Parts: sequence; structure tokens; C-alpha cells
Amino acid sequence: MTQHASPPRDSTGKVQSVGAPPAWRGLMARADVRTLSLLGVLAVLIIIGGITKPDEFLDTRNLQLVLTQASVIGVVTVGMTFVIISGGIDLSVGAIVALASVWATTVATQEYGFAGILFTAVIVGVGCGLVNGMLIAYGAMVPFIATLAMLASARGLALQITDGKTQIVTVPSVLDLGERDAYVLGIPPLVMVFAVVTIIGWLVLNRTTFGRRSVAVGGNAEAARLAGIDVRRQRLYLYLLSGLCCGIAAFLLIILSGSGQNTNGNLYELDAIAAAIIGGTLLTGGRGTITGSVLGVLIFTTITNIFALNNLQSDVQQIAKGAIIVAAVLVQRRTASTT
Amino acid sequence: MAPEPPLLSMSGITKSFPGVRALDGVDLDVQAGEVHCLLGQNGAGKSTLIKVLAGAHQPDTGTIHWRGEAVTLRSPIAAMRLGIATIYQELDLVEHLSVAENVHLGHEPTAAGFVVRGKAARASTARLLKRLGHPEIDPARLVGELSAAQQQIVSMARALSHDVRLIVMDEPSAALDPDEVDNLFRIVGDLTADGVAVVYISHRLEEIRRIGDRVTVLKDGRAVAGGLPAKTTPTREVVALMTGRNVEYVFPERPTKDATADKPLLQVRGLARDGEFEPLDLSVRPGEIVGLAGLVGSGRSEILETIYGARKPSAGQVIVDGRALRPGSVRAAVRAGLGLAPEERKAQALMMLESVTRNVSVSSMSRFSRGGWIDRAAELGAARAATRELSLRPDNPNVPVRTLSGGNQQKAVLARWLLRGCRVLLLDEPTRGVDVGARAELYAVVRRLADEGLAVLLVSSEVPEVLGLADRVLVLREGRVVHTAPARELDEHRVLDLVMEGSPAS
Amino acid sequence: MPELTSRRGLLFGTAAIGAGALLVGCTSNESDDEPAANDQPAADDKPGKEVTIGFAGPQADHGWLNAINDNAKSRAKKYSDVTLEITEGSNDTAAQIGQIETLINKKVDVLVVLPADGKALTQVGLKAMRAGIPVINLDRIFNTPQAYRCWIGGDNYGMGLNAGHYIGEKLKGKADAKVIELAGLDNLELTKQRTQGFDDALKNYPNIKKVARQAAEFTVESGQAKMAQLLQAQSKFDALWNHDDDQGVGALRAIEQAGRDDFLMVGGAGALSAFQAIKQDDGVLKATVLYPPTMAASAIDLARALGQGKGVGGMAEFEIPASITLYSAVVDKENVDQYMPTGFK
Repeated sequence: MTQHASPPRDSTGKVQSVGAPPAWRGLMARADVRTLSLLGVLAVLIIIGGITKPDEFLDTRNLQLVLTQASVIGVVTVGMTFVIISGGIDLSVGAIVALASVWATTVATQEYGFAGILFTAVIVGVGCGLVNGMLIAYGAMVPFIATLAMLASARGLALQITDGKTQIVTVPSVLDLGERDAYVLGIPPLVMVFAVVTIIGWLVLNRTTFGRRSVAVGGNAEAARLAGIDVRRQRLYLYLLSGLCCGIAAFLLIILSGSGQNTNGNLYELDAIAAAIIGGTLLTGGRGTITGSVLGVLIFTTITNIFALNNLQSDVQQIAKGAIIVAAVLVQRRTASTT
Repeated sequence: MAPEPPLLSMSGITKSFPGVRALDGVDLDVQAGEVHCLLGQNGAGKSTLIKVLAGAHQPDTGTIHWRGEAVTLRSPIAAMRLGIATIYQELDLVEHLSVAENVHLGHEPTAAGFVVRGKAARASTARLLKRLGHPEIDPARLVGELSAAQQQIVSMARALSHDVRLIVMDEPSAALDPDEVDNLFRIVGDLTADGVAVVYISHRLEEIRRIGDRVTVLKDGRAVAGGLPAKTTPTREVVALMTGRNVEYVFPERPTKDATADKPLLQVRGLARDGEFEPLDLSVRPGEIVGLAGLVGSGRSEILETIYGARKPSAGQVIVDGRALRPGSVRAAVRAGLGLAPEERKAQALMMLESVTRNVSVSSMSRFSRGGWIDRAAELGAARAATRELSLRPDNPNVPVRTLSGGNQQKAVLARWLLRGCRVLLLDEPTRGVDVGARAELYAVVRRLADEGLAVLLVSSEVPEVLGLADRVLVLREGRVVHTAPARELDEHRVLDLVMEGSPAS
Repeated sequence: MPELTSRRGLLFGTAAIGAGALLVGCTSNESDDEPAANDQPAADDKPGKEVTIGFAGPQADHGWLNAINDNAKSRAKKYSDVTLEITEGSNDTAAQIGQIETLINKKVDVLVVLPADGKALTQVGLKAMRAGIPVINLDRIFNTPQAYRCWIGGDNYGMGLNAGHYIGEKLKGKADAKVIELAGLDNLELTKQRTQGFDDALKNYPNIKKVARQAAEFTVESGQAKMAQLLQAQSKFDALWNHDDDQGVGALRAIEQAGRDDFLMVGGAGALSAFQAIKQDDGVLKATVLYPPTMAASAIDLARALGQGKGVGGMAEFEIPASITLYSAVVDKENVDQYMPTGFK
């Protein structure tokens, strides 16, 4: 068909000659390195915990405790991971958890029992997510600003609803879910919800068009638009998803604490972002994994647990948390650049 | 006595980025006191070259001699210490600081090492502004309040605030009125009279004629001509160097069958965008390749993006297969069977972190999914089939698209539309950043797609490419179609005359 | 809970703010659970000279602070000769300064100020005093006595001290007794004072050793989380002191979830839920140490007395004292009924 007038030069061999091993193997190896490094950190923590407090740390009850404590923030982090992968940010997650948890525990709501509390928590979460999504997708607001505004408003509304009072939950079917009797095969119901949300989150991100579009929008929004993706609608759905996760987390928190309080979810936004980042999610979007984020949450929860078991005080805990974020990001940058 | 060594001598400079070789053995000599013009199309390597010169990029290979001594420009500060200053097209001024603060940014006159002597800074800034012919700019004003032309003067004052021997000016006249251009040229004249060398980058040939001493033409990362006399080299020769081929290609055969009998697949009627291009009519039939030829600023990319719905037209219609598209909607265009391979592949087409498969399947996900669940085996199979059909290398759709060469990245974009089953392909500078050796292959692919019944609308600033590949050619100048003819009735010189002059010259 | 039957149908309303406002309205109209000040008679109950009292407090985002506002309001309502000018609560120092300056400009007769930050608001206290408006400084103390006419507040050190003594007496004679402490927000000075008092009290009981301390954040959520960890860390201990009844709700939840009942727990502050649990006496919570929000009602009484130029009843002096430190009483099953009306939610 075509002849090259220039000395024949095979354009097709180009890539092979640049990198010695096939590039896909490098990609696989890197994905594995990232997960493996997180698992390595977790393993080191478990060893530290096991050495310092063998009886208390290496104990079924402690495993149940750590996973339970990780559930609430874990569910929030799954939603946050989607938002960050798409190149956005949701600063309002903690405030939404607070609002959903107090609205679902008003005296009036509690009259409707289990279903009323669950329904309200989820609807409030989704409603806040809808407002975020509309402002960002169709109001062309920067996610940072829109969700910051939601943070302030949702916290304010939560305070107004509670009037600063602690709302005790009196619905037995809700409270019972937090008790040991509700454990199935030793697994607390909260942990089961966390696991289910994680698995669904993983499937949605890796196996559905929704997940693909989220990554595409985060990786290159303009390219996604020119490829025919409805970028705005995708953004709306992403913040809805984050709101939904907050609603579920609020319900878990109600079960766990047996109450609703306007101070709930304090600084969840930072914890969720931190967990996603050390899990390897790019803050600029386009890359991230649910596995990494969940490992990030587990790492933080395990550290808190080990520190508490060793009776170290909160100042030391905070310093360690900061150091681990920096270390994790530095390690990842190194693994990313050496490949 | 041995001749004075040139002020600057760059030789064999190469610089590669993932997927593209931006500079391929460039030589550049600059003498003290001369205006050395750098010419080239977008993507020819000019900005990479001046970034190497400014210390912002490190070359992969090659040497730089400064006043006869080998030097390494490790950072912008290192370049500045030698006396090389760069005035970028995107002015790098801080809007919320004053003129004087901007001029002395990073080397503020200080007392006791850290107290900024604002008065001294303002006084020296005022002297520089006076030398530049703009004493009316108040050194205390905020840069953000100044006009574009004044900001450029400030940028120049910043360059002169250092002990400068070479100034690189990247399209300095682009934002200026004719009066201001005259002032700019006066400044350039003063500088060169003082022995300062100027590397001047511009698209405007008439400017180069007025102030240039010598011209170096870059194309595809190579210096295709170095040190030509700026005043006497014929315009046509310079343009031919910029837009022509340093390698002759054999373009694929045109089909013998006459396509004009078919009904047009794409029709554009009176399509216009205020300030970008005037009402335009064109039609493309299945199997036909229509080319739009024009220089930078002729409105070519804007036309393509407007047809595609990425820009909202101010008037007119796009009709595909007899049905008018909703204006300004990419999704409507894609649904109707349009596909765009945009000019800026990395910024506009590809998710660079993702695999070839995902980049190829992104527009056709509904085909491999049921209820939102992706059948990944089917997706991979289809992506593999589409990329194989285009001989994309490596033959493994799991590799990240960023590891591909420019030509293969372009094939990934084409595969996306092939998979989607698109019927009208819009190609914007399809061989930009594509290695010379891979171009012929891309041409063959485009022709084959047309032979299979696609309508192709091609935009290129490379005249031989348009003439060699297209069946029909529309020549654009400043947002207006100045000539339409079958490609075989045109030749390169005629088109060059048309794109430059707007009317056929003999 | 009494409200369970009194309101319905609010939940599924669409207007979020409307519903929120309605809930707030209902709560404050409730008469049977109003955190009434204790009914100790004030200087004199008979109407006297008209007094306008300006009241500025922080944002009521916590049960105790909310009770402070309620106490001040309901106390002022009791007096026909008192007009209360109450500002929107704020945690922002600058905003609170502005609010107090507005009250000064309005020329109120007396100011009652619970500062968001005592040190930061000293200057505006001085300003009011110089303008001839006496200031009652509530709880968080100004930097200098010149900035207030009278300070009335709780005793954080005393809280810890009394909690320690209560636990010490309960565990008397028990060899190698272990106690743990669930503290409040660690970056607050009052938390350090409470811990110091607790530790000092325990020094009197050589058989007792404090084996663990974790700090929560005065919230139910943090109380549950930290207590769950403490319970896992200490498989056996005899007593727990929890600084704050609000976080105690979470702590009790964690204790319940862990199925533990082998120790006694002492709370802090004096929340209604804590009083109720103490009265029922079916859990680990046996007592709580007061940090009484009724101090706001007393502050209104003091302000009224100042405004009318009178002293306080029960004291021989013509003038009210310059400083009043409240006693952090221990409330247990014996005396809980007496304190029940002062419990806050």
C-alpha cells in the first residue's frame, strides 16, 4: 500500500526498545507494590502491637474492636475515594454524618423505629450529596468551595436540630445491632456493612461503566467530554454516592454510639482524605483504589488501637499520624518514579 | 587573530518526552548584537528549545557553549546568572504585586540582607521603564491593573534588571498593537546596539524581515535551516521550510471511483463563531477526505471543534445523514456518528494514566456493558481487534497509553472511533508529534478508513499533507474560506500563496 | 423520655431548616424538663429597681453550655424587674468581642460574660468596667481581676479531687486496686486541672494505682471509641473516672457493648442522663461530680443584686464577693433526687 521514501524505519518497534520489560508488567508490578507496601506497613504494626501488648492486641475481641472502629470512617472513605479519583474533593462528609445522625435520632424520627432511623439517615446523606453535586456539576462551583459551604451549613443545621443536646437512641432494634449478641459467626454487623460497602465499591470502580467514567473524568475531564461522556452528570452522581456513604456511616455511628450528636463525624473529612491518599489515590484524580483506601483506614485504626492499648496519649498519636501520612506519600512517590 | 566565538552555540540538542521526541539534534548559533529569529509551526520544538536555553529543561544529549566555554544550564537561576533572560509568551508576572516588586522579584535590593529597600527598587524600575520607552508606567502600580502591552514591558524590564547578554522573546508581538510593535522594535534595536543578542520567535514573517538578522527554521524537532539571512531569503522558501516536507512521502492512492455521486454524509451550513470564523459551508461524502489548509490562527481547529459540538456556534447548522445536530452538544455529535481526533492529544483525547484498552473503549462502553456492568473480556477483545486493525504497537492493549509513541497514541484515538462505529472522522493535525517514520502508515490508515465508507474532514498546517491525503481542499485564511478545489488541481506553491495572501497570485 | 409522646410527624418534612427550627422550638417550650435553677431564694424576690442585664456566651454546641443559656434565661424570667439582653452565642473571639461592645454601647446596667476564651476577652472586660458597667465573669476567667467585678465559676481541680476521694473511699481496703481515667479534650487547660486533682486525691490511697488514661473529645462518638480501647487494654480494673457525662453516654455504650460490669464508674458535669442512670442503679455508673450549670442562674442573681446596689442573702457584707468558686459536689444514689431538676441534656 505505502512505501517509505525515507530509510525504512519500523515505527512499531519503538515502545519495545524504550523499556526493556514489557510495560504492562511494570504496571502490574507497580499496582502490586503499592498494595504490598500498605500490607507491609499493616504487618509491621501488627508485629509492634503483638510485641508490646501480646495478650490484649492479639485477641479476637480486639480484632472485632479494630474493625468495628474502622467501619464508620471506612464507609465514608469508600465514597471519598470515588470523589477524589474523579478529581474532586468532599470536605462536607463529617458534617453530613453529623446532620444525618442527629436528624435520624430526633424524638420524632425515633417514633418510626428502625426503618425510620435508617431511612432518614440515608435520605439526609443523599440529599446533602445531591446539593453538593448540583452546585458542583451544574452550578460550576469548585468542589472545595461547594463542599466547604455544605460543611458549615450541615454542621449549623445539626446544631439547630439538637440545640447542643445529646439525643439518646431508645429504639431497641437499633441498639441491639451494636451488641455482642448480634455478632454473626463472630462478625459484628457494623463490620459486615463495612465489608459489603467495600466490595460493592470495588466492583463499581473496577467493573462498571460508572467506575470507568469516574476514572476518566478524573484522569482528563476534557478528554472525557470529547469522548462523549456526560461529565457533569457523572460529577453529580459522584457526590450523591459520597452523600449516600455518609448516610450509611451515620446509621452505623448511631448503632455504635447509641446516640446522635451534632459533634459527630468531627474531622472525618481529613481522616478520609488521609486514608485515601496513603492508599495511593492521586489527589489530582485519575488514579486510586478501594483496596488502598480501606488499607489506609485499617492502618490508622490499628495505630490508634496500639497507642491506646499502650496508654500513649493523644498528642503522641497525632504526631505519629502526621508522620505516617508523610512517610506513606514519600514512599509511594519513590515507587512511582523508579518504575 | 582567531574569530570571536559566538555568544551562544548549541549543538546536537535532543530532548525526548514520553511518546515524543521534541528536539532531535538541534544546532543554534547566536552572535552578540544580532537578532536571531526562530521560526516553526506549533509543535516544531521552539518552546522546548527556549526552555532548554532558559535552564527549565535539561537536554538529553548535546552541548551548550557560552562565549566559547561549555556550560550546563541546570536551572533558570543558572541561566540568569550567565546573562540569559527569557520573556515567555504566557507572561510570568505576579498580578498582585507592584511593577517594581515584579521587576526585582528574587533579587530585591535589600538593606542588612533582608529588609527590602522599596524606594530603591522603584527608582531603578523607573529608570528601566524609561529606557524601554514607557516612563508612564508607575512602578508602584499593581501589575494586574496594566494592559497586556504594559505587562510585556514590565516583563522586559525584569529581564533587563539582570546583567543580560541574551534575551529570548517568545512571540512578543502577539498581544501588541502596531504602535506598540514599533516601540518593541525600537527597544530591540537599542539592545542589539548595546551588544545584547536577541532570540526572537514569531509567526509573522514581515516582522522577521524588519528586525531579523538571521533565521533558523525548526520543523519536527530539527533545525531544517540554520542562519539564513533574514532580509533576503524569499518568503516562499521560508514558508516551504516551515510547512513542507524534509522527507518526501508516498501518499496512498486515491480511489478511482468518483465519490461525488453519493449523498453527503456531513453537511455544514453557514456555521460560524463570532471572532473565530465566518459562515462556512462544506460537505463530505462517504469515502471522501476533505482537507482544510491554513496557518495558525486561520480558525481551522475552531471549525473542527464547533462541528463536533465542543464549541457552541453563533450561527449555522451541522447535518449528519440528513439530520441536524443539537448545536454545542458533543454527545449529540457522538451519537450521530462523529468522532474527533483533537490537535492536543494528551490534553484533549487521552487519559494518560490509563491503558490502551480503556482509552479505546471509553466511547463505546455501553456496548460491553449490561446494566452498567462491564464485560471485560468482550471489551478487551474488541479493543484488541480495533488496535490490531490499525497495527497499533505494541500489540498489547493493556499497556498504559502514555508509554506509546506519538503515532501509536494517535492510532489509539482512531481505534476509539473505529470501535464506536463512527461514520464521520474529524482529524485535527493528525501527525502532530508523530515520528516522521510513522506518518506514512497513519496516512494509509486514514485512507483505508475512508475507503471503508467513512467521511473524513482533515485539518493540517502542513500543506503537503493536505494536498497528498485529501480529495478536496478548502483553503482558510483568517477564519474565511478563500478557495476550494480538488486536491489534484492544486500545488504547494499555490496553496502557500493562498494561505498567506488570501488571493491566488501567480 | 417524656417527649416520646408529645411530638410526632416532624420527621419526614421536606424543609430541613423548618423542621430543625420547629424541633428547637418544641424543646424550649417544654416545661416539665426545663433545667430549672435550684430554688434557693435570691437576695430578695420582691420587685425592685429595673435592671437590664447583658449576657454573652459561647455557641451552645454542647449540653453543658446549652444548660448555661437555659439557666440564665429562666432565672431572668423569674424577676419582673430584670430585662435580659442575650446575644447569639459565638465561639469566635472577635465576634464575641463585637457582641459585648454592642452591649456596652446599649448601656446595659450589668454584663454577664462567659468568654469563648477568657484570656482573649480580657480587654473588652476592662473596657466595660471602665465604662462603668460591672462585669460578672462566668467560669472562664479573665486575665486580670480588674476586668470583672465578680467571678463565679466551677472548680475543675476540685472535680478531680472529689472524684478521686469518692473512688478512694469506695475502694478502701481493697488491695492493689486499679483505676482508669477517661479524660476530656487534652488541649484544654481544664482537662489538665481535672486530671491533676484526681491524681492528687489518689495519692491519699496507697492501695490504688491509676493504670491507664485516655483522652476523648467531650463527644459521644469519641467517648465510645476511647472507652472501647480502654476496656480492651485493661481486662481488669476497679473504678473509672470519666471527666464528662456527654462523652460518658458513649463510654457507657462501649461498656455495655463489651459486656463489662465489674467496676464502678464516676462521671463528671451532671447530665440528666447520668442522674437517671445513678438513680436506677442498674449499671456501672454510681456517681457523678458536678460542674453545675446553675452558676449561670447565680450569675443573674449577682448581676441583679449589683444593678440594684444590694448584697446577697446569707452574707453579712453589704457588697457581693469578688469571686465565688462553686463546690463540685459528688452526686450519688443518696442525694440524686435533690439534683435531678438541675440535670442538663
